[in-house]
Amino acid sequence: MASYTEDELKKKIRGGYILESPEEMTPGYRRALIVQLTVQADTELMSAPAYWFAARHAPSTNTQVSAHAIIQDELAHANIAYRLLEDLGVSKEHLVYGREPHEFKHPYGFDQPLDNWAELVVANGFFDRAGICLLGDVHRNTSYGPLKRALVKVDMEETFHLRHGEVWMRRLARAGGAATELLQRCVDWMFPMTIEWFGLPDDLKHHSGQLDYKLKGLTNDELRQVWMSSTVPLCEGLGLSVPAHYDEEADEYVLEYPFPCEYDPDAKRWLFDDGEITWQAVFERWKGRGPMNEIYVDSVRRSRGSVASWLN
Amino acid sequence: MSTGLGEGVYEVFARKRRGEPLRHIGYIDAPGDELARVYAWKTYDEESWFEMCVVPRGAVIPVNRVEGPWAKNVPEEADGP
Ligand SMILES: [Fe+2]
Ligand SMILES: [Fe+2]
Repeated sequence: MASYTEDELKKKIRGGYILESPEEMTPGYRRALIVQLTVQADTELMSAPAYWFAARHAPSTNTQVSAHAIIQDELAHANIAYRLLEDLGVSKEHLVYGREPHEFKHPYGFDQPLDNWAELVVANGFFDRAGICLLGDVHRNTSYGPLKRALVKVDMEETFHLRHGEVWMRRLARAGGAATELLQRCVDWMFPMTIEWFGLPDDLKHHSGQLDYKLKGLTNDELRQVWMSSTVPLCEGLGLSVPAHYDEEADEYVLEYPFPCEYDPDAKRWLFDDGEITWQAVFERWKGRGPMNEIYVDSVRRSRGSVASWLN
Repeated sequence: MSTGLGEGVYEVFARKRRGEPLRHIGYIDAPGDELARVYAWKTYDEESWFEMCVVPRGAVIPVNRVEGPWAKNVPEEADGP
């Protein structure tokens, strides 16, 4: 059984070492991996009810089927991530059924209601793309073998979710009139929502160890850039306006609004005019959770108690 | 390790096409063999597999490795391969 110090393990990992079992981990590695996997599992799980409520707005049986296929994928992704956690000695039972709704670690975006078909497809175009940026990076770089293999399936399916979003965004954009207006309203609240999802800027980020242990390869700011580098051209190409543009000189995408800023979840509106706020204030908003948090969590586990009691 | 509905872990193996190796593609929790087959088929639907099978985790006996999810299945009297 391996017993490396934190520094020895980090050095081995820099040399390309892949861990295959919990016995090989140092306490620091295990902790960082559990944090990463919990966020991943909770995000997949909470995307399911968010999309499920939105799927009621599907305009046809075909679109119902594709929306539900996505929901089924997300539940499978959640299941896989919780199973990896269970192999690290963390109880899936507790994570899914034993926590308060506000204790889940998914991003604030999945606490918001998706109220029409346009919001669902923009969620696929924006949120699932964020998932691909984040998990694709993990897939390419992670030093944990079981996770790397699990992500083959996830990557493949997330790409389908993204296509679904893009194809439908294109259809709505081409339609013009009310469809395009609605699409623009979605972009207005969901673009900054996804930008915020990537978290603290690098210059404020305390060291999490995820990079040292090669649990991921890119920093928050780098991932935000990767997301914008495909999202901004997509929206521009569709004639949609986004509060960001490519800056030739800086050779990066820059935001055109105070970041971070406050959000009014009831109006689904970012308060650009109120100016920049602190990340402390953002964390407090996240901690307070959004309007659908309890409803979404309840929807994935409301029948658990009764069925468990029939069986036991 | 089982969950609240009396589930156990199953390893999932699949082969994409004729001539390709049977690969370990993942795992699922299920309360028995029958549902394990259904859950595996429904969960790992990213390919149209030529062949898929499930194995209860407890049935995988490691030959040389003493770490990892199957380590506890090494027979007590075993002394290396
Ligand atoms: Fe997913
Ligand atoms: Fe997805």
